[in-house]
Amino acid sequence: MRAAFVIAEKDLKTYFQSPLFYAVAGVCAIIWSLIFGLGLFQFQDASMNQMIQAAQDGSAEGINFHRTVIGFFASTVNLVMLIASAALSMRLLAEEKRQRTFDLLLTSPVTATDIAVGKWIAGTVASWALLAVSLIYPLSVLFFAKLEWGPLAATYFGLMLITGVYVAVGLFASSLTESPVLAVIMAILFNFMLFFVSSPANMADGPTAKAVFEQMNINAHLNTMIFGGVAFSSLAYLASLIFLFTLLTQRVVESARWR
Amino acid sequence: MSDSSHAPSIIEVENLTKSYGPYKAVDSVSFSIKKGEVVGFLGPNGAGKTTTMKMITGFMAATSGRVQIAGFDVFENPLEVKKRIGYLPETPPVYSDMTIESYLNFVAKLKGVESSRRKALVERAIQKTDLGPMKHRLIQNLSKGYRQRVGISQALVSDPEVLILDEPTVGLDPRQVAEVRSLIKELAGQHTIILSTHILPEVQASCQRIIIINKGKIVAQDTIDSLSNRSGSAGRVHLRVLKSSQDLIAQINKTPGVKRLTQNDLDFTVETDGLGETAARVAESVVKSGSGLLELRQETFNLEDVFLKLTTSEESQ
Repeated sequence: MRAAFVIAEKDLKTYFQSPLFYAVAGVCAIIWSLIFGLGLFQFQDASMNQMIQAAQDGSAEGINFHRTVIGFFASTVNLVMLIASAALSMRLLAEEKRQRTFDLLLTSPVTATDIAVGKWIAGTVASWALLAVSLIYPLSVLFFAKLEWGPLAATYFGLMLITGVYVAVGLFASSLTESPVLAVIMAILFNFMLFFVSSPANMADGPTAKAVFEQMNINAHLNTMIFGGVAFSSLAYLASLIFLFTLLTQRVVESARWR
Repeated sequence: MSDSSHAPSIIEVENLTKSYGPYKAVDSVSFSIKKGEVVGFLGPNGAGKTTTMKMITGFMAATSGRVQIAGFDVFENPLEVKKRIGYLPETPPVYSDMTIESYLNFVAKLKGVESSRRKALVERAIQKTDLGPMKHRLIQNLSKGYRQRVGISQALVSDPEVLILDEPTVGLDPRQVAEVRSLIKELAGQHTIILSTHILPEVQASCQRIIIINKGKIVAQDTIDSLSNRSGSAGRVHLRVLKSSQDLIAQINKTPGVKRLTQNDLDFTVETDGLGETAARVAESVVKSGSGLLELRQETFNLEDVFLKLTTSEESQ
């Protein structure tokens, strides 16, 4: 495991010294600014309507700021991270192969597991740095709105786990090719597959099959966490996805010896 | 093996084979290398040098056969083996977005060098490869020759028992080539070195023993001296005269020690018993016959001949 941290440390340095990370962060910040602004605008509209409604019929139910603004924003962050994590993890192994530094890793006293885990840690920590950027927006309304800290923490915990999944998928894609461009395209495709893998739930015959497919819905897991609930099943599902794709990467790295 | 000493061998290769389908890139190669030896791996391009080296480092798995380094099997105990090896692949494995110093630090950490020794070892590797003034430069801004030196430096940095260098002088200018050769000589005592090359003078300059490989098979492995005997070129004397005559031919043939004479107009090749006096006597005979000696050259040991003989005879089979 020592070697995994050596690899992770080196890759993290590379991330924060390369323009790629800042370019990705910049693009993400632009998208999030627009979306968060839009969310606030819609909330303002909705509150206005609700106040008019309340004045007319005396109903007193307010609109939940967390659900409408933060919830909407979090699903956008999820979507943006799907692509951003793929972009951040595309070079992890593809570039090593292209630059032939993969030879160095494979002839050093490190295991394929060290390589896969180290790379995953690096990609995940870099993606979490990006998530930290997105946290600026919810925090920016601190002055005029009351934030619900519990659900906000649950939301970001969920986003961190899901980002870990995207990086594991991106790392796997990166292990399959020497071309970072191909890696990012494959990673985005794989990630979208994870999005849609639960869609047969509506067509499923038995209740068991339906439950299985529903369990595979990443968005549903995130929505539970946006509402503040962290279910064990969510943790288990996301953690096993991370494990599965890191294991697949480990197998691909190991197989390089046999070609 | 011609070497009679019984020093323990540090590298032990037995029937190593790598097949790609029916094609055998390396075909039951066996050899052993003793501690501190410098062995040249010689062969034409595509002979299987790189593949053999990759299998020794554990980078590539063998189809069959066994490799042991310092008693550890590459397949059973890859980590122990890799700790003891410094490897320079064909393309230096450098990260272009790192500086030389930070790169070497990373490699040292990766190879498990303890932090107490790391600084000194990185400094030593930089100094041995003469990279001192460049150590804060980004690798992407370096020329090919410098990258190659960073590659060598990287192999050295963990102070490994065994150095495996795949064509270490490729891309270097003549002065740097000379420097690398003297570096290899300097390292010879402390490390066991295998270096591959298709450049003949290189092995002659730096290796004690040569393994010639062709089409995946070892065609010869010996010391340079025994290979030179095998080539039969040591006793050859080349002559050029002003004018040829029957008398000249008779005189030379009469000279003791001369075995055979072949003539090509005014150029003669005399095969002798290889002694220095014989060459001197041949010169004397030529002068006596009054043919006007223009040139006399004793053929020195020519690895090229051995190499061509071994690698082409294989081909004609």
